[in-house]
Amino acid sequence: MVAIISIKNLTKEFKTRRKEAGLKGSIKSIFSPSYKLTKAVDNVSFTIKKGEVIGFIGPNGAGKSTTIKMMSGILFPSKGKMDVFGYNPQKQRKDLSFHIGTVFGQKPQLWYHLPAIDTYNLFSKIYELDEKSYRSRLDYLVKLFEVEEIIFQPVRKLSLGQRMRCEIIASLLHGPKVLFLDEPTIGLDLIAKKKIRELLKRLNENEKVTIVLTSHDMDDVEQICNRLIIINEGKIVYDGSTKDIREKYLKYKVIKVTLERQVTSLGLNLLGVKTIENEKYTQTLEVDTSKQPVQKVISQILSKHKISDITVLDPPIEEIIERIFKKEL
Amino acid sequence: MTLTKYIEISKISVYNSLAYLLDFFSGSLFIGLIIFVFIQLWNVVYGPSAGLIEGYTINMMVWYLVLTEAIVTSPGKILEEIGDEIKTGNIAQNLNKPYNYVGFKYASSMARTLLRFLITFGVGSLVAYVFLGGLEVKFLTLPIILVSVFLALTLHFLIMVLLGILVFWLEDASATYFIYQKIVFVLGGMLMPLEIFPTWLEKISAALPFSYIAYHPAKLFVNFQWSNVSEVLLKQLMWIMIMIVIVTIVYQICIRKISLNGG
Repeated sequence: MVAIISIKNLTKEFKTRRKEAGLKGSIKSIFSPSYKLTKAVDNVSFTIKKGEVIGFIGPNGAGKSTTIKMMSGILFPSKGKMDVFGYNPQKQRKDLSFHIGTVFGQKPQLWYHLPAIDTYNLFSKIYELDEKSYRSRLDYLVKLFEVEEIIFQPVRKLSLGQRMRCEIIASLLHGPKVLFLDEPTIGLDLIAKKKIRELLKRLNENEKVTIVLTSHDMDDVEQICNRLIIINEGKIVYDGSTKDIREKYLKYKVIKVTLERQVTSLGLNLLGVKTIENEKYTQTLEVDTSKQPVQKVISQILSKHKISDITVLDPPIEEIIERIFKKEL
Repeated sequence: MTLTKYIEISKISVYNSLAYLLDFFSGSLFIGLIIFVFIQLWNVVYGPSAGLIEGYTINMMVWYLVLTEAIVTSPGKILEEIGDEIKTGNIAQNLNKPYNYVGFKYASSMARTLLRFLITFGVGSLVAYVFLGGLEVKFLTLPIILVSVFLALTLHFLIMVLLGILVFWLEDASATYFIYQKIVFVLGGMLMPLEIFPTWLEKISAALPFSYIAYHPAKLFVNFQWSNVSEVLLKQLMWIMIMIVIVTIVYQICIRKISLNGG
């Protein structure tokens, strides 16, 4: 398949003003401002093919959003070359806008006091859609996203999850070839998150829309993206299939147990289980699921100890990044 | 096709403001109080003989204020709105959409402004009529005055957009608005006709763009002279052109900076 987006040596530097503390510092910064250069994105290259679902993942401030904003023409790069369907986003952002859709989790585009349908009608005019195809497109999307009733209620009365579904529809009306989503699941509860993931997946399957999303939630990416780009401190740490990451690094689970009585050791003696933290009543274990199923570990803990709380977690994204560094992938 | 976009934007903007009717029009009701207070004030100034001050009768003076007040207050918080969007970087949303940001703002705010102008002017007129009396106007001149008011609102809008964009460098939107508002109150001739000032200040004020927002259209309204019409309208158009050029340049610089350096 052909690459529809290609990014070469993309770099983005931000100039931030520095100010020393106190009044003296304030006065000094007026007359001789000193700037600090920070590299938000550092020499990043990749290509995206049609129909891919790509997740940009990394801790806060890693440069995920900046990369997406540059691809959609909102921010200009300091260095590097971008090609998005043959357009240069920096010079042709208006032309490009007819082919891409953008959703920014924290910057809503729906009119707050009006039902979503009013914004949709407006967008159909803004994107110069003809009435008939717009109607059938809207019908299709409304059914797909299951918002038949919701789009007639004022946006301010919707729940966050409902609102996000309506936001995504707004970005899809003009039939973009690529959908950029910046933190689409931020602030949503588990059920709403799951819903959004399912919808994006279905959208990709039905329409072959290429989806590029950022998240700091590993679950998001694991479940919908077939490709993963991990960014840390502006650099790409990993670029490859989600399957690989899952097999190599997500085979670890973290179990946190709080006991009713204090013990020095859980005394499990199981293969692939490591204690990483041992506080008074709380023990944190790391389980290598390729060697030991989580179920077995839990049942053994339950049979040996009286517990007041237990949680099973994925290792945080920072830890995965650290592991990738250690193994020098 | 392009125009329909902006018409649709105006429509939706009006619907959106109508969601909270009271909030939207509460400012318009306030004008009633102001006009009432000024009627008392001018009554004291004019005294029982009620002659002319600088060529204005007391009725002209009050009706002058009804119009200037309605023009100046109708647009609401455009400056702060734009300043906010620029400071928070929310303006980015509008950059990769197939429309012009300033055009978008003009369409969405003008519709609201005109609606609010009608209400404000209506309330002001009612109070002036009830507590003071009417004003002699020739109906034939009204369309010309409406054009002049429309141009005044456009100029007012453009200056506020410019200041809103400048917030990127000036940092504080509400202070900027406060200063601008006071300039229009005094130098723009919103509170009283410029003739009341000393001649040198009157001349300076009359030449500045602010007086084309309030003083010139309002004078046309209360004291219509065919000889003034073309000059007022042409000067308004001239200032609008000048502002469009300045806004375009400053907007480009600002957007470039935002695109280069984030919001």
